[in-house]
This record gives sequence, C-alpha cells and structure tokens, in this order.
Amino acid sequence: MLSEGYHHAFRANLTKAVIELRRYLPNTISMILTFYAIFVFLLLGVRFVGDPATSGDAVRHLLVANGFWFLLMVGVNAMGWELTNEALRGTLEQLYMSTVPAWLILLFRMVATLLVHLVILAVLMALSMLTARTWLTVDVGALATILPPTLLGVMGVSFFVAGMTIVFKQVNAVLQLMQFVLMGIAYVPLATVPLLELAPTAKGIDMVRRVMAEGASLSAFTAADWGSLWLAGAVYFALGLAAFKLFERRAMRLGLLGHY
Amino acid sequence: MSTSGASLIEVRDVRKTYRGANRATVVAVDGVSFDVARGEVLGLLGPNGAGKTTTIKMACGLVHPDAGSVRVAGHDTRTHRLRAVRHVAAVLEGNRNLYWRLSVRENLVYFAGNRGRSPREVARRCDELLERFGLGPKRDEVVAKLSRGMQQKLAIAVALLADTEVLVLDEPTLGLDVETGHEVRALLREIAAERRTVVLSTHDMPVVEELCRRVVVVSGGRVVTDALVADLLKLFQSRAYRVALAAPLPTEEVARLRARFALTVADDGALEVDLTGPGEVYRLMDALRAAGAELEGIERTTPRFEEVFRRLVQDGGAPGPALPPLLALKEATVAV
Repeated sequence: MLSEGYHHAFRANLTKAVIELRRYLPNTISMILTFYAIFVFLLLGVRFVGDPATSGDAVRHLLVANGFWFLLMVGVNAMGWELTNEALRGTLEQLYMSTVPAWLILLFRMVATLLVHLVILAVLMALSMLTARTWLTVDVGALATILPPTLLGVMGVSFFVAGMTIVFKQVNAVLQLMQFVLMGIAYVPLATVPLLELAPTAKGIDMVRRVMAEGASLSAFTAADWGSLWLAGAVYFALGLAAFKLFERRAMRLGLLGHY
Repeated sequence: MSTSGASLIEVRDVRKTYRGANRATVVAVDGVSFDVARGEVLGLLGPNGAGKTTTIKMACGLVHPDAGSVRVAGHDTRTHRLRAVRHVAAVLEGNRNLYWRLSVRENLVYFAGNRGRSPREVARRCDELLERFGLGPKRDEVVAKLSRGMQQKLAIAVALLADTEVLVLDEPTLGLDVETGHEVRALLREIAAERRTVVLSTHDMPVVEELCRRVVVVSGGRVVTDALVADLLKLFQSRAYRVALAAPLPTEEVARLRARFALTVADDGALEVDLTGPGEVYRLMDALRAAGAELEGIERTTPRFEEVFRRLVQDGGAPGPALPPLLALKEATVAV
C-alpha cells in the first residue's frame, strides 16, 4: 500500500485540511462560537427547568452530547458540503484523475478533517466546561480506545452522503435534515431508547458518555459492549463505502462527475 | 498488457447516450474510433455538442462508455481505470480544476500528493514549472486572487507535474484575453515540442493548424474526418480558387453563378470559389465567359484551417470523389 505513495496522499489531504482551517479562521471561530452558543442555551435550559438534584449529571451528559454533535456534524455534513463545492468548482474530476483511488482520498480527507476537528473540539469542550463549572473525566487511554470504532461509523455515514452528493449534487435538504438526526443520536441516551444502539456511532457515544460523565473505566465495559461497538462501526463503514461505490459507478455511467 | 503498434490511446467503436431533460435519449457519441500514436499531437475537433468532451472524458476514465472501449497504454479505462489514469493528466475545465482557497504552490503539491508523490520529490519540478509558466512571483498567492489566464496556466502546470505520457487539454485557450491567450499558446507550443502525446480539443484553429499533426473531427457524435492537417490543407487548397475580375459582375450574374458554384464575392470584387473537382475549373470558366466577365487572373488559394474545419463539419467529411476519400486518409495516417 505504502509503495503506491498513499501516505503522501494522506499527508497532502491533512495539510490541505489544516491550511483551509487556518486560511478561513473567521469561519472556524464562528463555527466554534455557534456550537458554544447552542451549548450555553441548552445549559441555561437544563439549569432553569431541570431538577437541581440531578442537574450536575444532566450538564455532564449535555457536555458530551454537544461535543459529539459537533464531531458528527463535521464528519458527516462537511463531506457533503465539500463534495458539493468540488462538483461546483470542477475539482471532483481532477480527484478522479488521481492514481490514488477516489474513495481512499475521501477517506484520508475524513480522517484529516476529524483529526483537525478533534483539536477544535478539545478547545470547545474546555470552554464549555469552564462556562458550566462542571468537569468531565478525561481518560485519554479510554477515549483513544473507544473513539476509533465510533468514528468508523461516522465515516460510513459520511461515505453515504458523499456518494449521494456525487450523483444528486443538490443534497442541501438532506444535509439539513441530517443535522437533526445526528443531534438525536448524540443527545438521546441509549438507556432511554435502547434501539438507538443500532444507529451508527450511538454505542460509542454512550460509552464515551459513561467514561467522561460518569467516570467509568475501560474495565467497566463488557465484551458485548466492545463487540457491539466494533460491529456497528464496521458494518456502517462497509455499508457506507459500498453505497459510495455504487453511487460512483452510477455517476460514471451517467457522466455526472463534472456536472453540477 | 501491450498496446497495439505504437498507439498509446485506442478508442474503439465507443458509444455513449445520455438521458435528456425530457427523458429522451440523446446520443452523445456514436461509434467513434481512432488511435493516438505515442508522441503525437492530435486535435479532437467538432462543433459544440459534437461529442468531443464526452470522448475525452471516456479517455480519462471519467465517463463509462455504453459500448466499445477506450484503452490507454493498453489499459481499459473502464475496467482498469486507475492503471489507465496513471498514464494520463488532463486539463478539463481549465481554471475550474483548481482549489481556489489554496495557493499556487499548494495546489501543485496537493495534486502531486494525490498521485502518491511527496512534496520533497516534486519540489524542484514545482519550482521549474512555476518559473517556466511565469507564476514564480505568485507562488504564495491564493488561486482565487489570480487572473483567469494565470489560473489557466496553473491548471496546465498541475497537469504537467503529473509527468504522464498523455496530456489531455480541453479548450485550454477558451475565454482568455489576447495577451494571455498568446502566452498559453506559447506554452502549448513548448509542450508539443516535448514529444509528449497530446490530445487537444479546441476551437482555436490557428493553434490546431500550428501544433497538431493530425485531427479527428467529430460531428453529431460521429467521426467525420480523421486526417493529417497537412493533407487536409492540401486537399482544400486544390479546390479553392480566387478569380480576379476587371470589373465587378452584376448582382443577377453573381446570383446565377452562386446557383451553380460555392462562391463568395470578396471586398475587392474578386470571386472566391470552392470547386468540387478538377473538371469544375473548366465549367467555371465557361460560366464566367457566358456571364460576360473579364478575367484578370485566377489562382489557387491556401485556405486557413478554420475554413477547412468549417467545410468539414458542413460537408460531413473530407472532400468528394475527385479527392482522396476519408478511408484513404485514415489508412495513410495509420501507416505513418
């Protein structure tokens, strides 16, 4: 794999993500402020209508949920917007003229985007915790173990959105709807709706919530938890990639790569 | 897989249909076949909607043909797309092929990265291309701030950085002002001189005449001519005449002549006639004598390639029976 120079392609896409983030600093700051403002409004809501006895727990859950909503939005919707722009600009066809497969370039972009936004998320979380004067457990080892399979599911959904964008182009309505679906996945605890475990990333978010909000350690999770986490991640990733390849084939058959 | 003979690109009987706006089937390419030899500069010409861009995109593996095949360096662009693409770089939509938020240099490095090449590996070549294309002083400028001409040059530089055997250029001089158009043409001249295999689709006929050895003219999704540029110019020269008259002919006599011959009246009153065969010259002379015209001189004219192209598209192919037919031209080309 590396002999094909794929690591150079990953590096190129990571560099591009960093450059664009820096070059559009006002956009980045406004994105952080938007999510921060939403958090503050929800925090005020929890403090105002919530039971004071349990509001500490609720705020911790809110902190984790808001952070994950940010990450899901970036991971899923950003790819849709980005590909819409690529089709509009004419760079999509150039991506397909690369010797590295297009799906792999998109995967590199997703990973790069998520890595860069994890740093931003850390800032957002710190700001949110300071505002709420509530602190979460930051167990780096546990997070580093749970996040990869969780993000695998995010990438699967992202591939699906990318494929749809290549064929249909105008997916704004779907992306807008998607932000509420993602909000539901991030905010609703599995304990309340167990069926959500079937949704992409929901299991991972729940496990992170237990680590960060309830102070659980890795040993608190059963083999079934890990199995469910990895299975959901792998299945959604595989389904998303398969759907992307189907959409891609259709786009090439209909000559849609260069059209907007 | 090996290529047949010296052909680097082999387009075989490709057909592509699209669903139109009213769901009607539109035939974009209908049984197109041609080869591009290694080191050849081929002009792929045709009026708008002729099927050039679809053909080019099939050669780049971006559109799958409904039938037929396109092979680049022996690799089918449909079944072995990535292997085929390894040999091709393209400028398909000019300045639209770039990331406008990235700088000139960042664009070069990014696209090279997606071809599996490290920034260090391409650093020297990037600098070389930037200097050659006059983009050196703009290397750190964001593409959005460049002029259209500079963006166009950068798009070509990006394609050249790929260092592929085949370079596909779709309308590289479209929409450029006179000065930048001149610069881009100069760059194209340099690229053509490098003995690289180039497929050039353009409406810029002086560029075709100067750079292309051979042209494939498509119209209505079909190949109407596949011939050497020099042969076409010679063919059309042999049937184009300019007749100088001592005095302009009356309008009704001109109309009478127009009914029999393809002619136009030049500003100085001379007649420019396109004859279909050698015997036609005598018929023209007889007709002029009958019209009472006093001849001052008659000469063969050298048509511009633009005129040749216009006639090819209008006539639906190379000249008629008195001149070498399309098939003969094709064979002559393949044999070269």
